[in-house]
Amino acid sequence: MTLADIAAAFSLPFMARSLTAIVVLSLVGAIIGVIINLRDLEFISDGLAHSVFPGLVIGYVMAGTDGLLIGALIAAVIAAVLLTFVARRGVGSDAGIAVVLASMFSLGVVLVSREDGYVSQLEQLLFGRLLTVTDSQLWQIVVVSLVALALVLLTWRGQVFHAFDAAGFRAAGFRALAYDLVLNIAIALVVVAGSQAIGNLLVLALLIVPAAVARLVTRRLGWLAPIAALVSAASGVVGLLVSYQASVVHGLSASPSATVVLVLIVVYLAVLGGYSVVRWCSLRRAVTARSEESAAHRHTEAARS
Amino acid sequence: MTAPLAPAIVLDRATFSYGGTPSLVGVTASIGAGDAVALIGPNGSGKSTLLKGMLGLVPLVDGTVSVLGAQPRAVLGRIGYLPQSDELDPEFPVSLAQVVMMGRYRALGLARWPGKSDRQAVAEALEKVGLADQGGRRFGDLSGGQQQRGILARALTGQPQILLLDEPFNGLDRTNREALLATLKGLREEGVTVVTSTHDLELAREACTHVMLLNRHVVAFGPLESTLTLPQIERTFEDVGVEIDQHMVTTLPHEHG
Repeated sequence: MTLADIAAAFSLPFMARSLTAIVVLSLVGAIIGVIINLRDLEFISDGLAHSVFPGLVIGYVMAGTDGLLIGALIAAVIAAVLLTFVARRGVGSDAGIAVVLASMFSLGVVLVSREDGYVSQLEQLLFGRLLTVTDSQLWQIVVVSLVALALVLLTWRGQVFHAFDAAGFRAAGFRALAYDLVLNIAIALVVVAGSQAIGNLLVLALLIVPAAVARLVTRRLGWLAPIAALVSAASGVVGLLVSYQASVVHGLSASPSATVVLVLIVVYLAVLGGYSVVRWCSLRRAVTARSEESAAHRHTEAARS
Repeated sequence: MTAPLAPAIVLDRATFSYGGTPSLVGVTASIGAGDAVALIGPNGSGKSTLLKGMLGLVPLVDGTVSVLGAQPRAVLGRIGYLPQSDELDPEFPVSLAQVVMMGRYRALGLARWPGKSDRQAVAEALEKVGLADQGGRRFGDLSGGQQQRGILARALTGQPQILLLDEPFNGLDRTNREALLATLKGLREEGVTVVTSTHDLELAREACTHVMLLNRHVVAFGPLESTLTLPQIERTFEDVGVEIDQHMVTTLPHEHG
């Protein structure tokens, strides 16, 4: 595939919309994902994603595609508030999140299964339709994503402080509940924004994988978000192109959002492999250095006696 | 003698509870401005609870707590707090200077970026704890004692009038211990009120003017010389004492960890 082919592919209106959608979602998801990673909120994010699902279904059942956004938004706010309080229980909070996750998801499946042709609708809601994003859907994605991004950027410093030292954070006079609530609403909004294009479940990968890659690449706070954003956006573009190539040129219909996620996973595994090798080498160097040091020490001791 | 200052912290029959049995019952005490109080008692005696109570972080179920003449939550900007540091993640990607800057976040609010005065406050705080040249190092790469001093520096960026320290000397080697003692001494000379929990009686003697002996209630509270006496300590630790051959032996949990 030459550069000209790539330019030609993205000059198609549907491909341009898909590209914009995936770039916006991956950038915002990656930045918010840094805070999710630092605060170890991967499981609650999964809970939020599953809890938005019945909102999508109810919206769809009541008003078709136009109802998806409003249904998801309502579910997102309810889920964010509910899970914020469930997660605050500390001991046993994982069980609480799991119960919310499973019950909300089941509710969504039961509701959608009453519809005609529900398998294809279920598939659309869970895995998204990246290539058929309309102009109005694109606007929804951009606006909802930017609201989520604004919520996280405004509270960024506090979120980092909270992640590092929760006791010190509260002692400094911050309201942990407010910060939890804002973050969970932001995560739920990204799920809402991503649901129609990437799918309700796959959007989770955009929140979690890029930040995990960045954590392996750098140990500096200031670099986490830029690296995560770069990895995520690049994987989005590559995944979209791979899926386009497979479908249009080779006639293999590959889900573009799943391809994007797979590209992200490949990047993660490659970086994890590199990280392990580097770590192993530096450990080995340290061990060798120490044994040489003690050998030299023994040598001088022996010479002295 | 200078004129007596208004007390920094006043507790009146204060009872704290996380729900269920109160952790600490009926604390009445007046801590003078510039005093240094050592909280001493067995594990679970309510030392940490009292410190958190002075920050308004533990529900007060009875009595009153007044800090600098107000509710604790209203004057948090003037209180520095050093939590027990063993819960911090050594892999967390922050530098020492970034950790110390966290002490300025509350005053910065949501949208303002740290400016020159904030960076200067960080540099001064690092200087005070003897880590002036270490700001760029990753927090997790510092030794336990240096991390402890880093967190103290964070508490100092707001130039607090009151410093609450939870087991600050736990697991410190001699160098870090001396450095921390010197910092505390300097702060006391500036008139900062210090309340610290500790297992270390020797340290209480070196660094404090007053002692509060705790065992879920106040066993004794007063000036160091008249309060830190053998009979009082035996009374405080009676729960963990054993009787052997008609002699009372108390096991003092010394610096461990």
